[in-house]
Amino acid sequence: MRRLVLIRLAWMLPILLGVSVVAFLLMRALPGDFAQASAGTTELAPEALNIIRRDLGLDRPVWEQYLRWLAKLLEGDFGDSFTTHKPVLGELLPRLAVTAELTLIAGLMAMAMGASSGLASARWRGRTDWLVRGINGLFLAVPNFVIATLIVLLAGLYFPEVGIFNYTPFLTDPLGNLGSMLLPAFSLALAVSVTISENTRAAVLEVSSQDFVMVARAKGLRPSTILWQYLVRNALTPIITVTGLQLASLLGGSILIETIFTIPGMGQYLFDAVSSRNYPVVQAIVLVAATIVLLVNVLVDVAYARVDARVSYE
Amino acid sequence: MMGAPGALLQVRGLTAQFNRGDVASQVVKGISFDIGAGESVGFVGESGCGKSVTARALMRLAPEGSSVAWGGTVLFKGQDLLQVKERVMQDIRGRRIAMVFQDPMSSLNPVLTVGAQIADIVRRHTGASASQARKRSVELLDLVGIRDAARRADDYPHQFSGGMRQRVLIAIAVSCQPDLLIADEPTTALDVTVQAQILRLLMRLRRELGMALMLITHDFGVIAGMVDRVHVMLDGSIVETGTVDALFANPQQAYTQALLAAVPRLDAAGRLV
Amino acid sequence: MMSIGLLMLASLVVITLFGTWIAPYNPSETSADSLAGPTAAHWLGTDSIGRDLLSRLIVGGRTTLLITFVAVTLAVCCGLVLGLFCGYVGGLADQVVMRVLDVVFAFPVFLLAIAVVAALGPSVPNLILTIAIVYTPRLARVVRGPVLSVKRWDHVEAARSVGVSEFNIATRHVLPLIVSPVLVETSLTLAQTIFTITALSFLGLGPPPPDPNWGAMLSEARQFMELAPLTVIGPAAAIVFATLTFIVLANGLRERLDVASR
Repeated sequence: MRRLVLIRLAWMLPILLGVSVVAFLLMRALPGDFAQASAGTTELAPEALNIIRRDLGLDRPVWEQYLRWLAKLLEGDFGDSFTTHKPVLGELLPRLAVTAELTLIAGLMAMAMGASSGLASARWRGRTDWLVRGINGLFLAVPNFVIATLIVLLAGLYFPEVGIFNYTPFLTDPLGNLGSMLLPAFSLALAVSVTISENTRAAVLEVSSQDFVMVARAKGLRPSTILWQYLVRNALTPIITVTGLQLASLLGGSILIETIFTIPGMGQYLFDAVSSRNYPVVQAIVLVAATIVLLVNVLVDVAYARVDARVSYE
Repeated sequence: MMGAPGALLQVRGLTAQFNRGDVASQVVKGISFDIGAGESVGFVGESGCGKSVTARALMRLAPEGSSVAWGGTVLFKGQDLLQVKERVMQDIRGRRIAMVFQDPMSSLNPVLTVGAQIADIVRRHTGASASQARKRSVELLDLVGIRDAARRADDYPHQFSGGMRQRVLIAIAVSCQPDLLIADEPTTALDVTVQAQILRLLMRLRRELGMALMLITHDFGVIAGMVDRVHVMLDGSIVETGTVDALFANPQQAYTQALLAAVPRLDAAGRLV
Repeated sequence: MMSIGLLMLASLVVITLFGTWIAPYNPSETSADSLAGPTAAHWLGTDSIGRDLLSRLIVGGRTTLLITFVAVTLAVCCGLVLGLFCGYVGGLADQVVMRVLDVVFAFPVFLLAIAVVAALGPSVPNLILTIAIVYTPRLARVVRGPVLSVKRWDHVEAARSVGVSEFNIATRHVLPLIVSPVLVETSLTLAQTIFTITALSFLGLGPPPPDPNWGAMLSEARQFMELAPLTVIGPAAAIVFATLTFIVLANGLRERLDVASR
C-alpha cells in the first residue's frame, strides 16, 4: 500500500519536469521576438534589442536557457511582467487566491447539485431517473460561458437594479464577496455537476446491488439507515474522487467566467496577459495551473487507493 | 408432513414470478410446507431449483433491480407475510425472522466496524442505547466464538477471515433472538475445515436460543445430523419430503436418488460417485 | 436516439458544406438597420452594425464546424496511430510515450489550448493544430486500452501459436474492439472541440475577422444585448445545437454498440 503511494508520488516529479519543459518551450514558439515583446509597443533600435537579449540570456543555447529559467523558478522568481515590470509571482498569488475561492465554491455547488440529483436518480428510478438524465444531457450541451452570458442577459433584462459586476474582495466584505461569487460559481458548476451526477448515480446503483445491502434489508434496518450508512457511505468515495478530478475542468472554465463577470482572478490575469503578449505571465499561469491539477489528481488517486484497499482487501 | 395446527410458519401454494422486461419466469411453482417452533427443516436441491427464492419470499426480499410477484400465503404466527405492509415487514425482519447468507466475504458493510454492524440491528429492534448495544455486540461476538471479542468489535470486515466473517453474520442474525433462522447455503463459500465448525455453531445456537432453523443447501452431506425433516426441491416444486434417515435409506424419487448418489461416501467400497 | 443524432448531424454538415450559398445575405454586409428585431427582411434581426444575424449564424457555423471537423479528424488519426503503436509494441516504448502524454494530460484542456494559441498566434491552421495537440492524447489512450487487453486474450495467444500472422490478428481481433470506443470518444471530442473553439473565439483567440464565428458573435453581442437579445440567443442556441448533436450521437452510438458487442 505504501509502495503504491510512493510510486505515484515519484512519478509526479518527471511529469512536473515535463510540464516545466512544455511551459518553457511554449514561449520559444512565439511569433515575433521575445526581446521586442518585452519592450511592449515601443519600437527599439537593434542595439537596444541586443542589450535586452543579452540581459535575458537569449543568446545562450536553449538547454542552458531552460536550466537557468528552471533554477530561477525554484527560487520563486517567475520573471517580471512585461506590462508592469513587477515580479509576476507577487501579482499572481492574490489572483490565484481569488480563483481558488471561485473554484472551491463552484466545486462544492457542483458536488451538492450533482450528488443529490444522482442519488435521487438511483434511488427512485423511473420518471425521476429519466428526468434527471434528460436535464443532465441538456446542461452538458450548454458551455459555461454561454450560461454565464445568458445569466448576465437575463439579469440585465429583468433585474437591472441588481449589480452583477460588483466583485468585492473577501477581506473588505465577506458577505458581499460570497454574494458576488454565487452566479459565477453557478455558471462554472453546472457542467461539472452533470459529470458528478452521472457518477453518483452509477456508484449508488452499483452499491445497491452489493450483497451487504441485501443483508442490511434482511436486518430490518430502516430505509433511511440503509440509505445513509450503507449506500451513501460506500458511494461517497467515488463521488469525492470524481469531484476532485473535475478540478482541471473548473480551472479551465474559470478563465471564461472571470472574464464575463469581471472577477480579478488568475483567469482574467491570463486573458489580459495573452491579449498583451505578456509572456512571462502566461508561462507562470500555465505552470501553476498544471502543477495544481497534477497535485490534486495524485492526491485523489492516493486517497481512493487507500479506501479501495479497505474495501477490496482479500 | 403437516406440523401441529398453529405451527410457527405455514406456507401454502407459494409462487414466485420474476419479470425481466417482457420475459416472465415462474421460479417457485406453488409449494406448501410447515415449520414448527424450534423445528429444524432442510431444503435440498440444485442451483436454480427455487430454494433460495423460497427463503427470500419468507422475508419478502426481492433482489435489487428485478421485479418479483409473490403468490400464495405465508402464515407466520397468524400473519400473512405476503400481505402485510412494508413497515410491518421491516419490523419482522431481523427480529422475528433472520437470515444468514451464502457469501460472507461480500455480506458485510466495508466501511463500518463489525461491532457497529451488530449494534445497528440491536438498536433498531430493541431501542437500546449506544453503550448497551456495544455491550451486546461484544457478548454476541463471544457467543459465536470470536476470541478477544471486545477488541475485535472495533475491527473492520476486511480484517477477518471468511469463516470468522460468517460467524459475525450469524451473530447479527441471532442478535434479537428470532423465532426462525434461515440459513441459505451458509457453508458453501467456506473451506471444508471451516464448514463443520460453522454448522456446529448453528446447531449450538439453535439449541441454546430455541430457534426454528430453515437450512438451505445443495449438498446432502451438510443436511445430515442437522435437520429433523428434509424437503427435496426440483425446478420450483417440492418433489419429496421425509426425515433424513428415511430419505437416505429409501429415496422414492429418482431425483432424490441422484442427489444422494452425488454425496461422496467414504464407506462405499471402491466407488466414490 | 441515434436517428435524431444523425438528423442533427446532417443539418450541420449541410451548413458546413453549403453555408455560403444558403445564407440570405452576405454576412459582412452592413446596413443602417442596426439591432433590429426579427422582420420579414431579416428573420432573426440584425447586429450592432446592421449585418443580418441569420446569415452570420449560418456562415459562422460553417467556419466553426469546418475547423471542428478537420481538427478532430486530425486528432483521431494521430491518436489512432499513437494508440495502436503503444498498445501493440508495449514495453518500454509504450511506457515512455504514455509518460509524455501524462504531461499533456496534466494541463487543463482549455488552459493548454489558450497557451498554444497564444504562442502560435490565432489563425485557422493554428487552431486546428491546437485542437489536434490537445485531444490526440485522449484518443490515443482510448485506442491503447483495448489493444493492450486483447493482446493477452487466450484465443489470440492460441491463434498466434498456430501461426496466424500478426496482421491478421490485428485486423480480425483487435480492430473490431477499437471501433466502438473510438467512435464514441470521437463524438465526445467533437462536442468538446465545439466548446473549445467557440470559447477561444469568445476570448478573441479564434479565427481572425472578417470570418464570423459563433464565439466571437456571442462576445460582441454582450455590449448591446439588452437592446437586441437575439444577438445573444442566436449564437447561444447555435452553439448548444451543435454540441447537443454530438452528445446525442455519442449516446446513440453507446446504446447501439453496447448491444452489438454483447
